[in-house]
Amino acid sequence: MAAISISGLVKRFGRTTALDGLDLTVGEGEVHGFLGPNGSGKTTTIRVLLGLLRSDAGSVRLLGGDPWKDAVALHGRLAYVPGDVTLWPGITGGEVIDLLGRLRGERHRARRDELLDRFDLDPSKKARAYSKGNRQKVALVAALASDAELLLLDEPTSGLDPLMEAEFQRCVRRVREEGRTILLSSHILAEVEALCDRVSIVRLGRTVESGTLAELRHLTRTSISVETVRPITGLSGVHDAVVDDRHARFDVDDTQLEPVMRQLAALGVRSLTSTPPTLEEMFLRHYGPGNGAADGTGNGDGR
Amino acid sequence: MTGAGLLLRFDLRRDRAKLPWWIFGTALLFLIQSTQSQNMYGDPRELAGLRETIGANTAVVAMSGPAQLLETIGGEVVFEIFGFAAIVVALMNMFLVGRYTRGDEETGRAELVLAARVGRRAPVGAALLLALLADVVTGALVFAVLAGTGLPVGGSLLVAAAITGLGLLFAALTALAAQVFEHARAVYGAVGLFLGAAWTARAAGDAADSGLVWVSPIGWGQRTLPYVADRWWPVLLLLVTAVLLVVAALALLDRRDLGDGLVRSRPGRPYASRALGSATGLAWRLQRGSLAGWVVGVALLGVAYGSIGDSIEQFVADNPEVTAYLPGGADRIVDAYLALTVTVGALLAAAFGVSAALRARAEETSGRAEPILATTTSRTAWLGSHLTVALAGSGLVLLAAGLGEGLAYGLTVGDPGQAFRMAGAALVYLPAVWAVVAVAVLGIGWAARAAAVAGWTALGYCAVVELFADSFDLPGWVQRASPFVHLPEAPLEAVTAPPLLIVTAVAAALTLAGLAGFRRRDVGY
Repeated sequence: MAAISISGLVKRFGRTTALDGLDLTVGEGEVHGFLGPNGSGKTTTIRVLLGLLRSDAGSVRLLGGDPWKDAVALHGRLAYVPGDVTLWPGITGGEVIDLLGRLRGERHRARRDELLDRFDLDPSKKARAYSKGNRQKVALVAALASDAELLLLDEPTSGLDPLMEAEFQRCVRRVREEGRTILLSSHILAEVEALCDRVSIVRLGRTVESGTLAELRHLTRTSISVETVRPITGLSGVHDAVVDDRHARFDVDDTQLEPVMRQLAALGVRSLTSTPPTLEEMFLRHYGPGNGAADGTGNGDGR
Repeated sequence: MTGAGLLLRFDLRRDRAKLPWWIFGTALLFLIQSTQSQNMYGDPRELAGLRETIGANTAVVAMSGPAQLLETIGGEVVFEIFGFAAIVVALMNMFLVGRYTRGDEETGRAELVLAARVGRRAPVGAALLLALLADVVTGALVFAVLAGTGLPVGGSLLVAAAITGLGLLFAALTALAAQVFEHARAVYGAVGLFLGAAWTARAAGDAADSGLVWVSPIGWGQRTLPYVADRWWPVLLLLVTAVLLVVAALALLDRRDLGDGLVRSRPGRPYASRALGSATGLAWRLQRGSLAGWVVGVALLGVAYGSIGDSIEQFVADNPEVTAYLPGGADRIVDAYLALTVTVGALLAAAFGVSAALRARAEETSGRAEPILATTTSRTAWLGSHLTVALAGSGLVLLAAGLGEGLAYGLTVGDPGQAFRMAGAALVYLPAVWAVVAVAVLGIGWAARAAAVAGWTALGYCAVVELFADSFDLPGWVQRASPFVHLPEAPLEAVTAPPLLIVTAVAAALTLAGLAGFRRRDVGY
C-alpha cells in the first residue's frame, strides 16, 4: 500500500488555482523527492496532506486514511517540518522540541539529546535569538526524534550549512533503514540525488515527471566527450556537437545512443567519457528558458 | 548621522498608521477632561467643594496628583488627567524609539540599513527625531485643545511643554535602554518598569506630601503646577535629563558591536517543564504575562474607583449633573456608582478576553499554529486552548476589578466585607463579558480576516451603550443588542438567575458556532 496517493488534486484560493490536478504516489519505506520551483504548489500539497487545507477536487489518501477527516489520528503517525519555521520568541528551542514531542504523545529524551548534539544546537536559547538555520534545526530535531511512520519535510535544509547538511543526510538514511517513509520537498538537487529513491517534479500545480532517477534520466540526453583515431566527420543523431578534428563533444538522446556508438566505433575510439544528465539538467529542462516557466514564480505565492 | 534624514522619512512612513492614534488619543484625553471639568466645576463654589471632599482623600491624591492643583479649574484638569496622559505619552515614545532601534536590530533589518551609506548613529538619530516630532505635535495639539476650551494660554503652554518634555525624556531613556539590552522585549520591560516605578514614587510622594515626588519625572511634570503657580523650571529639568540620557546612549552605541548589549539575555530551560505539555499549557505560557498585566491594571483601577466611593454621596450632592451618568438616579448613589464603575471593569475584562481570543488568530497567521495542528492536537483543542485562557482569564480580570474596588471601598468605610460583596457583584457581569468574547470566536470560525474587527466592534458597541446610553438617549432596540443591558446592575439591582443563564447560553451558542466554523475552514489564512 502506498503511504501517500494523490490523484487529480485541485486547490483554489479565490481566483488563483494553486493545485491543478496534481498526482503524487509515495510508496511505503521510500524517500521521495518533491521538486518544483517556488510557488509550484509543493507547500500547498503538504498542507492538504496535513488536513490544514481542504481539497476542492481529486482524491487524497494518507497512510490509508483521509487527511481531512482523520487528521488527528493520522498526525499521530507522522512528523512535519515546515518550510518556514516560525517559533515563539520567548520559548527556548529545547522547550519547543519537548512540547511538539509531547503533543504527539512521545518522549524520547536520549534520541533528542543525541540529535541536539549532532546538529550542534543550544536548547537553552530563546527562539528569538536563533538564526534561520537554528530555527530549522529545532523543527528538524523535533521531527527526527519521533517514531513517526511518515516524515513530511518541506525544504528542511535550506538554511543549513554543509556540515549540518551531511548530518541531515545521515539521519535520513537511518530513517530509511528503519523502513519509514519520507516526503522530501527540496531545492537542493544534490541532496535529492543523494537521498531519494523516486522523484516527482511539479510545475504550476501539476505533476510533470515522476519516477526513479534512472527512469527520469532515460528520458533525457547523455553528454559525451570522445577522442577518435580518425578525424570525425558527419555524425548524425547528436545535439549541440562541437567537433575539432579528432575531438568531439555532444549530447545524445538516450534512444539514439546505440547508432551513435556504432558510428564512433567505426572511427576508432581512443578515449570516451559519458556523463549522465544531472538532476539539475533535468530540472532546468522543465523550467529553463523556453519552457514558459523560467521566472520560477509560477502561479503566485503557492501557499 | 549620515542618512538619518532619509531614515526619518522612512520611519514616518512605517509609523503612519500607528502614530496618529497615540497623538490624537492624548489630545482627546485633555479635550474630554477640560470640557467635562469645566461643565462640572466651572463655578468657584463647586471647585471649593471638590477641594474639600477630594483634596482631603489621600487615595484620590495618590491616584491623581498634588492637591494644590485644585486651586483653579485649569489645575483641576491637570490634576485629573496629567498622570494618565503622562503614561500614554511615555508608552508612545517607548514603543516608537524601541521599534526603530533595538527592534530593528534584533530582526536584522538594521544590518541591512547599516550596510548602506548610513552612519552608525543614524537609526537612533532618526528614531529620536521622529519622537521629537511626535512629542512636539502632541504638545501643540494639547495646547490647542486646552487653550481652545477656554483655559488660560500661559498655563496651557506649560502643560504642553511638560507633556513634550516627558515624552522626550522617555524617548531618550528608551534609546539608552536599547543600547543596554539585547532584545526589544527587555527594552520595553525595563522602560515599563521605570515608568511604573516613576508613577508609584509620585503617588506615594503625593499621598505623603513628601519629597519623593522629585524622584519621578511624572512628579516633575505635575509640579510645574500649571494654571496655579506656572513654574517653568521643572520642564528644563525634563529636557536636561533627556539630553544627558541621549549623550549616554550615543556613548554606549559608539562602543558596542551591532546586535550586542551590555546585559546578555539569560538562557532559558533546555527541557520543557511539566506544565508545557499540552496546547493549553502553551496557550497559558503565551498569555500569562499579559493576563497578569491586565489583572494588576484593572485591580488598580478598581482601587481608584473604590477609594472615592465614600465621598461620592457628598460629591453628587455638590454636582447634581453627575446623576445623569449613574443608573438608578440619586437614590442609592453609592450602589449606583459602584455598579457603573464595576461595569467599566467588566468592559475591560471583555477587552482582555477579546485580545486573548484573537491571539489564536495571530498564532494562525504567523504560521505558529501549523506545527501544533500537525500533531495529534485537534483543531477544537487548539482553538479551545486559547479560548480557555480568554474565558477564564476574563473572569479573573473581572474578579480583580470587583475585589480591588470592594477592598478600597471597604477600607474607607470600615467594612472589609465589601470586598466579597463587590467580587460577587462583578461576577454577575461575566456572562456578558463572555458574550462579547464569543463574537470574536464566531469571527475566527466563520470570517477569519474580519475576526479582529468583529471582536473589537462588539466591545466598542457595548461600551457606548453601557456608558452613554442614558446621556445620549439611545433608542431601546439599540440598547437591547448589548448583552450587558439584559443583566441586573449589581450591586444596585437584585440579582436573579434567568437573565444570567440566558446570556450565558447565548455566549455558549456563539462560541460553539465559532468552533464549528473553525473545524470546517482552511487553516493559515
